Amino acid sequence: MRITVATKSATRQRILEAAKGLLLADGWNHTTTRGIAIAAGIATGTLFNYFPTKEAIAAALIADALEGAAKEFREGTPENSLEADLFTLVWSGLRKLSDYRKFLGQALDSVFSPLARSSPESAGEALRVDHLELVESTISAHGYPGPRSPVTVQLYWTLYLGIFAFWAADDSPGQEDTLALLDRSLKLFVASLSIGQEGTNERR
Amino acid sequence: MNVGELLAALPEDDSSSSSATAWEQEKLQEIFADLANRPAPTGSLHRLWTISELSSEIALAYLNFWVRGWFSDAEASQRRLAETNLRVALKLFHRLGYLRGAMAKLGQTLGNLPGIVPNDVSDTLDRLHFDAPPMHFPLVREVVRNEFGKGVEELFREFDTVPFAAASLGQVHRARLKSGERVAVKIQYPGIARTINADFRNLAALLFPMRLGKNWDYTKAQFEEIRRMLNQEVDYEQEAESTRAARKLFRPEDGIVVPEVYAEYSGKRVLTTEFLEGVHLDGYLATNPVQSSRNDFGTRLYTACNRMVYAFMPYVDPHPGNYLFLSDGRLGLLDFGCVQHYGAEEREIMLLADRLAFDDPSLIPVVVQKVCGVSPGDSEFPAYVQMMTESREWAAAPFYSRGPFDFGDERYFRAGVENVVGMMRKRMTGAHPMYVYWNRGFYGVLSMLLRLRAQVNAHEIIRRERAAAGLG
Repeated sequence: MRITVATKSATRQRILEAAKGLLLADGWNHTTTRGIAIAAGIATGTLFNYFPTKEAIAAALIADALEGAAKEFREGTPENSLEADLFTLVWSGLRKLSDYRKFLGQALDSVFSPLARSSPESAGEALRVDHLELVESTISAHGYPGPRSPVTVQLYWTLYLGIFAFWAADDSPGQEDTLALLDRSLKLFVASLSIGQEGTNERR
Repeated sequence: MNVGELLAALPEDDSSSSSATAWEQEKLQEIFADLANRPAPTGSLHRLWTISELSSEIALAYLNFWVRGWFSDAEASQRRLAETNLRVALKLFHRLGYLRGAMAKLGQTLGNLPGIVPNDVSDTLDRLHFDAPPMHFPLVREVVRNEFGKGVEELFREFDTVPFAAASLGQVHRARLKSGERVAVKIQYPGIARTINADFRNLAALLFPMRLGKNWDYTKAQFEEIRRMLNQEVDYEQEAESTRAARKLFRPEDGIVVPEVYAEYSGKRVLTTEFLEGVHLDGYLATNPVQSSRNDFGTRLYTACNRMVYAFMPYVDPHPGNYLFLSDGRLGLLDFGCVQHYGAEEREIMLLADRLAFDDPSLIPVVVQKVCGVSPGDSEFPAYVQMMTESREWAAAPFYSRGPFDFGDERYFRAGVENVVGMMRKRMTGAHPMYVYWNRGFYGVLSMLLRLRAQVNAHEIIRRERAAAGLG
């Protein structure tokens, strides 16, 4: 029997919905791939055809949310400073992920582990590459000449993950502490872009 | 005269003071001199770096102490701990913009930074202000969403994405309500307000074990007063209350206007008020106004200040940015974050001082006891009585002058400054904590009137305001 693209997509979606429900109810540590398969009404073996690990499922959930934010960002009106644009991009991603905030801290550790990055197929790597590409095009659009050095890219990614981790555990009202951290981190990052590039200014 | 020169002129400690006290005074003066001479950090990048440096600097300072402690005896080690504490505290002052301002206030009460010299006055008052990084619009939008659960677009018909003024820990944007009214929306930088108590705890832990100076208990009480007022200043709900209360005090014929608060668009971190069109003091002075216009504005300013005092809610932030000169001649009062609300104890003291100033000079010994905490049996009592006599004479002079009083006469302001400097030189720093802000308000208004070069019938205004309050 041939499985149509539509069926495949629907099954994938069912797995993600089931995973989301279990992760929210039971947390990261108490959710298993077997449990997810049962909740999705499929055999565990079938689940592995879609996602090899629990981390891959979490990565897909995160990726879907971030993709939605990235799409909105691309379609939105650009802000008049790079800081403001990057702020919009990152914060809208966090807003899309707000349902997952409780388990995101632990999931991030697995999905975005620096060690996992050594494998190009790792679930987090695709997310990283997509996000950094969008960041790069945003930076260029604001008139900062490329290419970015690996140190600059790593600085951004470190700040980005730090903000994620901070936000996941931020109990301040409306996560206002994350707002401040994000703002200050981006100021730091944007300032670092200008180091050694005198005469390069923001193009509005 | 700048602050450094003042400091150089200050120490006149009695010869009986122990070497430890001399050492403390010297260190403290060094610290406050340094504090006064360093400009507040302005660039956002600079602020950012200073924040990240903070913890490492504290760690280094303590490491330094720890290592040196291996080689010193106990007594010296105590001294170094105190020194280390002071240095760390100093770094904290420098790092936390808003606290720097608070500490400058404390420095004044400690008798090290009078800071009220005419040429310096506006600068000093400027520095006694909160400091927060500017916010771009996407951040502003999120703060608004946090407050109301709605976006800026849903709440307002128009919203200017570029702020037009800085405010306590935030900034102010022009906007228009859906119903058409023009408003000013004050937005607070996220997260900073909640750090005030923690920052003060840290500073208290560093400073309090030292008991610097003979009036240390007063200093502690004043420190607490500053912490309380700073918390009040960042609470926009409290500010909305104070604004509404102040608005009720003025009638159309006063020519003094307090903007209306729009409660539906206001919360803890966002405050929306009626937008007043006008210019600040510098803009007004740039039009080279005629003397009668200066006098009219001076009269309004002096009336506003007295009206609020007699309502037991003095306006203690007479910063030029908080006054608006409207083209129709009215005076606008903005920003009611820094308003004292007197309870029973403060009211009693205020009324006593009021009677002393305007009714009964024989109350001087009573006021010295009540306000300065010095009893007739104390050796310094006669000196305090003398100081209070001179202060009273100076402060009440506008009331006792016949006809309009010339607040533009710099000699008057200078005499007041010399009074304060004299007190500081004699280390007469005992005062009820309410006076930390009272003095700021009092000298602030005088410096505004000085810059306006206004001639005001102070006698008539005070008589009228006191009568309305059932006094005199």
